[in-house]
Amino acid sequence: MTALTQAFHKVRHNFVDGGKYEWAFPLYELVETFLLTPDERTKKGVHVRDPMDLKRLMIFVIYALIPATLYGMYNVGYQGFVGEGTAETASILDCILRGSGWMLPVIITSYAAGGFAEMIFAVVRKHEINEGFLVTGLLYPLTLPPTIPLWMVAMGVFFGVVIGKEVFGGVGMNILNPALTARAFVFFTYPSAISGAKVWDIAGKTWFGGEGEAVTAAYTGATPLLAVADKGEKLNGAVDILAREGWQWSDMAMGFIPGSIGETSTLAIVAGALFLIITGIASWRTMAGMLVGMVAMVFVFNGVYDSMVASALSDAGIQTLADASTLGDAQREALMNNLPLPIMGLSPLYHLVIGSFAFGLVFMATDPVSSASTQLGRWIYGALIGVLVAIIRIANPAYPEGVMLAILFMNVFAPLIDYYVVQGTTRRRAVRLAETA
Amino acid sequence: MGQHRIKKGLNIPIAGGASGSVEDIGTPREISIDPREFKGLIPRLAAREGEVVKKGETLFFHKFNQEIRVVSPVSGRVKEVRRGARRVITDVVVEVDGEASVAHKAWTLGELEKIERETAKEQMLRGGVWPLMQTRPLDQIADPETVPQGILIGGYETGPLQPGADVLLGEGDKEALQAAIWVLRSLTDGKVYLTHEEGSSNPVFSGLSGADIHTFSGPHPAGDMGVQVNHISPPRGNRKVWCIRAWDAVVLGRLFLSGELDASRVYAAVGTGLGAPRYVRTVMGAPAAFVAGSVKPGDARWIRGSILTGAKISADSGAGVFPRAVHVIPEDVERELMGWALPKFGKYSFYRAFLSGFTRSGTKTYDLRPGLFGGHRAIIPLKSFRAVVPTPDIEPLYLFKSIIAGDLEGAIKLGLLDITMEEAALCSYIDPAKTDFDVYLSTTLDTYAKEAS
Repeated sequence: MTALTQAFHKVRHNFVDGGKYEWAFPLYELVETFLLTPDERTKKGVHVRDPMDLKRLMIFVIYALIPATLYGMYNVGYQGFVGEGTAETASILDCILRGSGWMLPVIITSYAAGGFAEMIFAVVRKHEINEGFLVTGLLYPLTLPPTIPLWMVAMGVFFGVVIGKEVFGGVGMNILNPALTARAFVFFTYPSAISGAKVWDIAGKTWFGGEGEAVTAAYTGATPLLAVADKGEKLNGAVDILAREGWQWSDMAMGFIPGSIGETSTLAIVAGALFLIITGIASWRTMAGMLVGMVAMVFVFNGVYDSMVASALSDAGIQTLADASTLGDAQREALMNNLPLPIMGLSPLYHLVIGSFAFGLVFMATDPVSSASTQLGRWIYGALIGVLVAIIRIANPAYPEGVMLAILFMNVFAPLIDYYVVQGTTRRRAVRLAETA
Repeated sequence: MGQHRIKKGLNIPIAGGASGSVEDIGTPREISIDPREFKGLIPRLAAREGEVVKKGETLFFHKFNQEIRVVSPVSGRVKEVRRGARRVITDVVVEVDGEASVAHKAWTLGELEKIERETAKEQMLRGGVWPLMQTRPLDQIADPETVPQGILIGGYETGPLQPGADVLLGEGDKEALQAAIWVLRSLTDGKVYLTHEEGSSNPVFSGLSGADIHTFSGPHPAGDMGVQVNHISPPRGNRKVWCIRAWDAVVLGRLFLSGELDASRVYAAVGTGLGAPRYVRTVMGAPAAFVAGSVKPGDARWIRGSILTGAKISADSGAGVFPRAVHVIPEDVERELMGWALPKFGKYSFYRAFLSGFTRSGTKTYDLRPGLFGGHRAIIPLKSFRAVVPTPDIEPLYLFKSIIAGDLEGAIKLGLLDITMEEAALCSYIDPAKTDFDVYLSTTLDTYAKEAS
C-alpha cells in the first residue's frame, strides 16, 4: 500500500498543472482514485467528512444490478433454446454461455463507447472523470434487446452521454436520465431494432445475422406485453392469453420470458431493490410512489374494462366472451370493435412483472439527479410515473412499453414538482414567522 | 415552560473525549484573544504593544461603537499583536504579570432584580461582558442601542466532544446565573429564556426565577442556541433574539455580584491527537498548547471549538472566548486500496452504505481524520439534508443552491437567516459530493450583514 502511494507520488507531478502530461490529469486522477482513497484534506469549514462519496454511491448501484445482469445472461440464452424447442436439453451453463455471447458484447460496447465520450469531455473541459458513467454504462445495455446491433448500442450511448448529460455540465446537472436518453435515442432512430416481436430473443439467429437453428412452429418471439396488447386477441382475457403462451404469473416474476436483457426477472430486480433500500442508496419514496400510482391507475382501467366488456356483450346479446363463437361473422366483427384490448383488464399484479416496470421503478426512476429531490416531491414524482406508465401501456398500445417514456417525461417535470414543494415550505415559513403573531 | 424533543440531527461519534475531574493547571505565562471570534466587531486596539493592562481593562473596542469593548482577562503587559492576511488582527497577546484588577459596582441579588436597563447595559459594556452575547439571526455582537425580542440563555451543549453544563456549571454558579437572568431581563421587552437538557439534574438549573425555562433533548444540534431560538421564539420581522451560553451568563452574573471579571475558565482538551484528553481549569485565552498538555507526535490540526464549526488555529493561539474545548486531531489520513468498493467494517458513516452502519453500537467512537474521502462533485441529493436540519420549514438543498447561485433575496425567503451554522456544518459533513455548504453560508451571511448595516 505504501509502495503504491509512493509510486503515485512519484509520477503525480507529470500530471498536475505545469506538468508534462497536464492534459491527461483527469485520466491520472481516475486511476489514482480508483486504486486509492483520495488523500485530499478538508481545508475550510467542517474539519471531518463522512467517508461516503459518489464513487461508493455508484458502485452500490452496480452491486444492486448484479442479480439482474447475471439472470439476464442466463435468460437470453434460455429464451433462444425455448424458441428452438430445445430448452429441455439445455443446461444452465449452456444458457449462460450462449446468453453471455450475445449480451457481453453489448455491455462492453456500451462501456467503451460511452467511456470514450466521457473521457473526451473530461480532458477537454478539465474536470474529473465522473463515476456516474459506471452506472449509465450498465443500465443502458440492460434495457436493450439482446439482438441489437453493436453500432446502434454505441450510437445510443454516445447520444446519452453527450446530449443527455455532458452538454448540461456532467453528472448532477443533467435533466434527463442519461441511460434512458440513450435508449430513447435508439428507440426512435432505429425502431425496428428495438420494438416489435422479432428482436427480443436470439432463437434462430446468429451473431452475424445469418440463418441459425430452425425455430419451432409455435415460436412468435412476442413478449408478454405484446401478446396482451394484440388487437386480434380481444375475445380472450389477458391472463388466459399469457397462460396459453406458457407464462404463469410466477414464470414472469422469475423472469422466464423474452424481453430486454436485464428487465425480465422481477425477482432479481427486487433483490437489487432491497439492497438499494437497505443501504439507503435509492429513494424508497420514489419506488413506493411509482408502485402506488401504477396500481391505482390500473385499477381504474380494470373498472373501465369490465364495464366496456359488459356493455359490448349486452349489445351483442350474449352472456360471456366464450359465447362469441355462436355469433355470425358480422356480429362478431361488431363485437370485436366494441371490445377493449385485453391489457386493459390485466391486474396490477401482472403489470408489475411484465415489461420493464420493475426495472424502471428500481433503477431508472430513482436516479437521484433526474428525479425530484424533495421528500414529498419524490412521492408525487413516483406516483405520476406510475400513472403515466399505466396510461401509455393501456390507452396507447402503439407503444406497449410506457416505462421509458413515462420516466423521461417526469424527469422533465421533476424540477417543477420540487419547485412547488419548496414554494409550499416557503409559504409555511412565511406564515409562521409573520411579523405579528 | 416548554419541552422540545428534537428528532433530526446527528451525533458524530468521534473518539478522544475528555473524562474525569477538572484538573487545575494554573495560569499560563501569556494569554491571547482573537478578535475574529467576535463576529461583527471590527477591532480598534485600545492598548498598544508594550502597554500595561489591568485585568478588566480594555484591549480593543468596536470601530463603530466604542462602548463595545473586549477586556483583558489577566493583568500584565501587551506583548504582541499578531496580524494575518490583509493586516487583520489575529491575536492580541498579553504577558501575565501581577493581580491588578478593574473594579465595578457590586450588587446584591435583591438589587439586581430591579436593575434599570441603562445601568445594566452600562456595567455590561464597561465590564467587557457585552460581546459574550450574540444575535440570532447572523450570530453577530448585539447592538446596545436596540431592544431584543427576547434573550436566550443556552444551557445545553450537544457539539461533538464539547463540554456542557455538567462539567462547566455546578451549585456554586447558581447565584451568578440568577443574577444574569435579572440583568438580562432588564434589556428586553420580551422574555428571558433558559434552556437545559431534558431530565438534567444539575442543581444550577433548579429554583431559578425570572426566566422561561425550556428543555431540549435529541441529537446535535439540539443544543445549538440558534436551533433553540427557532423552536422557542423565532425572530420576527427585523427583530433579533440575543443569545448567551449559560456558562458565559455566569461570567456576566459574577461581574455584577462581585464587581470583578471572572476570568477563570474550564476548558476541555479533546481529540485523538492528544496523549490524554482532559478537563482543565485555567484562565480565559490560555494558549491552546497549554490547555492541551501532552500531544502525540506527528502533524496535527488544532481546532478551537468543535470539528464542525471550530476554527483552525495554531498551537500558540488562545483557546478561545466562546468555545470551551481545544480539539487536536492527527492530519494523517490513511489511504485505502479500492476503498470505494469495499463493505468496510469499523468505519463510521451517516449512511447505511457501510457495513459498520449495521453493526455499530450506540457508544462506540471512531478515530475520525480530516480527510475529504472523495472528490468534489456536483450536488447529488442522495438523502435529504433535512435529516440533519431540525429548524422547521427549510429545504436545505434549495436554500444552499440559491446561496451558491448568489440569489440573496431568494435565499432569505428559503430561510437563509433561520438556518444555523451547526446545521450547515452537518449538511457539509454528510454530503457525498463534498460541498462546503457551511463556508458558503458564512460568506453569504457576512455579505448580508455588511449590506444590512
